[in-house]
Amino acid sequence: MFAYYLRLALQSFRRNPGLTALMVMAIALGISVCMVTLTSYRAAARIPLPHKNEMLYAPNVDSWDPAQAYDKDNATYAPDLQTYRDARGLYASTIPDRKIIMYKAGGVLSGGNNMAPEYVAARMTTGDFFPMFETPFLYGGGWNAKADEGPEPVIVLSKETNEKAFGGANSVGKTVTWHDREFRVVGVLNDWEPAPKFYDVSNGSFDDPEKVYVPVTWGQIMELGSDGNTNCWKTEDINSYQDFLNSECIWWESWVELRTPAKVAAYRKFLDDYVIEQKSKGRFQRPLNNHLYTIEGWMQRNNVVGTDNKAMLIMAFAFLAVCLVNTVGLLLAKFLNAAPVAGVRRALGASRRDIFWQHLTESGVIAVAGGIIGGVLGIGGVWALRAWYGRFVQDLERALPVDYSTLGIAVAISLAAGIIAGLYPAWRIGRAAPASYLKVQ
Amino acid sequence: MGLRPILSSLMRNGAGALLVAIQIALTLAIVVNAVFVTSERITKMGRPSGIDDQNMFALPVTGFEKNFDFFAMVRADMAMLRDMPGVVDAMPSNHIPLSGGGSSTQFYSLPDKKGEKSPVAYYVTDEHAVNTLGVKLADGKNFGATDVEYRPKDVQGFPGTAVVTRAFAEVMFPKDKDNLVGKTMYDDQSKPIVIAGIIEQMHGAWVGWDKLDRVMLSPVVGPGPGIRYIVRTEPGKLDAVMAEVEAALRKRDPNRVVGKLRTVKNYKQSSYASDSLTAVTLSVVTGLVLVFSALGIFGLATFNVNTRTRQIGTRRAVGARRRDIVSYFMAENWLITTLGVVVGCGLALAVGFWLSNQFALPRLNLYFLVGGVAGLWALGQLAAWQPALRAAKVSPAMATRSV
Amino acid sequence: MLSMKNVSKVFRTDLIETHALRDFSLEVKAGEFLAVTGPSGSGKTTFLNIAGLLEPYETGSYKLDDVEVTDLSDDARSALRNQKIGFIFQSFNLMPDLNVYDNVDVPLRYRRMKSAERDKRITNALEIVGLAARMKHVPAQLSGGQQQRVAIARAIAGDPKLVLADEPTGNLDSLMARQVMDLLERINEMGTTIIMVTHDPELARRAHRNVQVVDGQISDFKPYEAHLAAPGATPVATGRVATPAGA
Repeated sequence: MFAYYLRLALQSFRRNPGLTALMVMAIALGISVCMVTLTSYRAAARIPLPHKNEMLYAPNVDSWDPAQAYDKDNATYAPDLQTYRDARGLYASTIPDRKIIMYKAGGVLSGGNNMAPEYVAARMTTGDFFPMFETPFLYGGGWNAKADEGPEPVIVLSKETNEKAFGGANSVGKTVTWHDREFRVVGVLNDWEPAPKFYDVSNGSFDDPEKVYVPVTWGQIMELGSDGNTNCWKTEDINSYQDFLNSECIWWESWVELRTPAKVAAYRKFLDDYVIEQKSKGRFQRPLNNHLYTIEGWMQRNNVVGTDNKAMLIMAFAFLAVCLVNTVGLLLAKFLNAAPVAGVRRALGASRRDIFWQHLTESGVIAVAGGIIGGVLGIGGVWALRAWYGRFVQDLERALPVDYSTLGIAVAISLAAGIIAGLYPAWRIGRAAPASYLKVQ
Repeated sequence: MGLRPILSSLMRNGAGALLVAIQIALTLAIVVNAVFVTSERITKMGRPSGIDDQNMFALPVTGFEKNFDFFAMVRADMAMLRDMPGVVDAMPSNHIPLSGGGSSTQFYSLPDKKGEKSPVAYYVTDEHAVNTLGVKLADGKNFGATDVEYRPKDVQGFPGTAVVTRAFAEVMFPKDKDNLVGKTMYDDQSKPIVIAGIIEQMHGAWVGWDKLDRVMLSPVVGPGPGIRYIVRTEPGKLDAVMAEVEAALRKRDPNRVVGKLRTVKNYKQSSYASDSLTAVTLSVVTGLVLVFSALGIFGLATFNVNTRTRQIGTRRAVGARRRDIVSYFMAENWLITTLGVVVGCGLALAVGFWLSNQFALPRLNLYFLVGGVAGLWALGQLAAWQPALRAAKVSPAMATRSV
Repeated sequence: MLSMKNVSKVFRTDLIETHALRDFSLEVKAGEFLAVTGPSGSGKTTFLNIAGLLEPYETGSYKLDDVEVTDLSDDARSALRNQKIGFIFQSFNLMPDLNVYDNVDVPLRYRRMKSAERDKRITNALEIVGLAARMKHVPAQLSGGQQQRVAIARAIAGDPKLVLADEPTGNLDSLMARQVMDLLERINEMGTTIIMVTHDPELARRAHRNVQVVDGQISDFKPYEAHLAAPGATPVATGRVATPAGA
């Protein structure tokens, strides 16, 4: 019967091509606008490493100014970065299965076969970074705790950097010069572009990953400050790098891996104990305000999705609603216009269900057509925005990916929407008493 | 003709009319808020930055050789750049205005962290900054070449003289707005800084910051090894000069890293990209939603006319003039639109309130609501005009014809 | 075939009640050709709609082919209508978008027949009405008489026991009207019961039996019955078969 309904639907479209086109375009444009906003929303709302969401945590302690909260609009938030001392203090805990402290630095990289010296961003981090964030390796691997302690002069290159320095060859064991110091390559990452860059949202959720990875202790030996955000609140005499390390300025990030609820509880207690101990030393004069964020919670805390993104998504769906109401109205008009024909069908033995499904098929076909056209328009829209904004927004490829799975969502939304739009008109026409239309003609 | 018969006819055949009313209500809610937010963003993007942002570019330079002389590099590069044809002036700087990256610090109008206080974005540079940025010095004078400190080590605090924007100085010294030059302000270590000159207006680093126009230029260069150069060109020569500068810098000293050259215009667009994206998306939505509302109204009016040809013919047969038929349909449409607009007003206010609450957007300006209501009324009448005219062309003979 | 007892139907609006049928009782035997006459507004169309299961009624009982239909669900009525009843309307009521073949196909579709079976029946029905050659035409390309013959083909394609015709010749000129009547008589001769509503005495006279509806009831005055013999006999035996026009 479905094939028959489908044929009747096509016949009906041929009768009112303008009206049909209007309905299809209404759905298509509604869907395409939704798709564009949904694409950027989904890119930002995506949770990297979802299988580790209940395992990886960002500890957050409130070392900020006793006189005012770190974020005036969200007074319950602790600072999103940590002081050097607190990062080291938290790192001392033996509760986590794995732990990372890190910051972003920069310096000139040279060496390799024939690489022109280049200023590159480096992630100063600890060896657990690689297994915790499951970074893919092309060659070699990360470094161990012993290399962290030494620290050993080891370095991990991104795939791109390895291509520049060594033409893409296996460079494990070779040396490069970074910041006037020689480092031995122990690993080369494969393509890895975490988006959003959840572990450093403070410096940009869609920023490029760093080009090289270096044991964090080298940063203190080489006296490297942060290439990212550094925020200070306290009046302190800072006349040396050591003064800076001892200051209340925040620039470090911490992550821990806690595999059991018991460890999570223990680590929470550790955070509280740590802060209480610091309070006894005259630091941490704000109320106890510790947080332990999952990746998802951390991204929400840092508003990675962005208010504009959310507001526009809502606007887009409101627009889709207008398009759908429009379509319901036009379908209703169209179906009621053709009510006498439905009346004849009823007289010839069609049940209410037959009439209902026949008309629902018609609106379903419109919805599918609208969804496909809308999907294509939506992808076109994403391309157009990328072409336009890509000229001055560097991170757009990650913030606005061409995401073909959104196409499936668009068609699904459209089909659901079209069926909802068709339900009332189809029901109305199905309910109509057959006799009332027969004499009217 | 009164509205009562129209109303009762609407009540009996309500679903279609109700749908159009809902559509108009949603449209009003969307359009009013979208236009409001868009206009906010356009105003924000259109603010003058105070600097000659269309004719400037910037680049980072970093030395890496051991024993490399940072100050010699900066001086030689600056001398070369300022001498190149097409270049108006050039300056060294810690950051690039409008780029989204910068530094800020806090100042007080009295020692010991007392008196007025304000954060300020600062640029450490040399005496060419005012001319390179193209800012207007409203009062006082620029700092001189001898004021510039070339600091080999990272030292806290700024030199004792600075050029600041009027917006910043007025916040610091609200009682002496006419006499800001020569005032002394203090950092958190109570180190004094005398205001040498006042910049009429200039934007700093972060376009989303509400204190964007509080800026200080301080005469410091160093300690390196990295620095940024900002170059201003003569109008229309930006692209040509950029290419020449890149080649000249590499040629002058290949033993340092010359980073990517980017125009300040490009930085500015990048900083405003999310505002621009929001404005563009909302404008497209606004345009489309208006078109579809008009088509919806048009569609329903056409349907109404088509299904009522006999009735219209009868009206004509009993003496209705064409004018009466037109006004019947226009009035019917006006009633539906009005219903939609009334509901839509409430909806628009609710959406506006919710948006401003939830997303910290500014509260909806009511003028936009008034404009939206008037606009939708006009749109509704416009969309119903053609179907109403068609209705008026129905022949009185339709009354007796069985279709 | 059809048995109505004390059927009443009232149309209500806010202001008035109209008794379309009151205590209406009628028996129609299988194979009969019954003409229902009456003035405009007498209730004869209401009777036809109820007989065709298109409208509910307030009181009374109605048996169609020994099935009591009063309390049947809408679906069951639709199925019954589809299998046992064929409709012929004054204004033909063909689907304007569908060609002749697809129009005749409509009731068979709702019977969920296999395609081969449908094809056989459609071809057969169109041959009976003499329009097999016009299968691919759409209604607008046919004359009024041809359209009504398509409607007749549609009515009989499902092999119904009862054909209900509502002023089947009302929109046709007299030549075409005669062709349609000939066709109905032929169908009746093949065993199908026919109930025809008309206000044309000429046509009514060609039926086996006449009833007149006045004010929603069968009137006692039966002007033509005197001329008629017992049911089953053919008083005016024309014996003519419709000729395929323009075939």
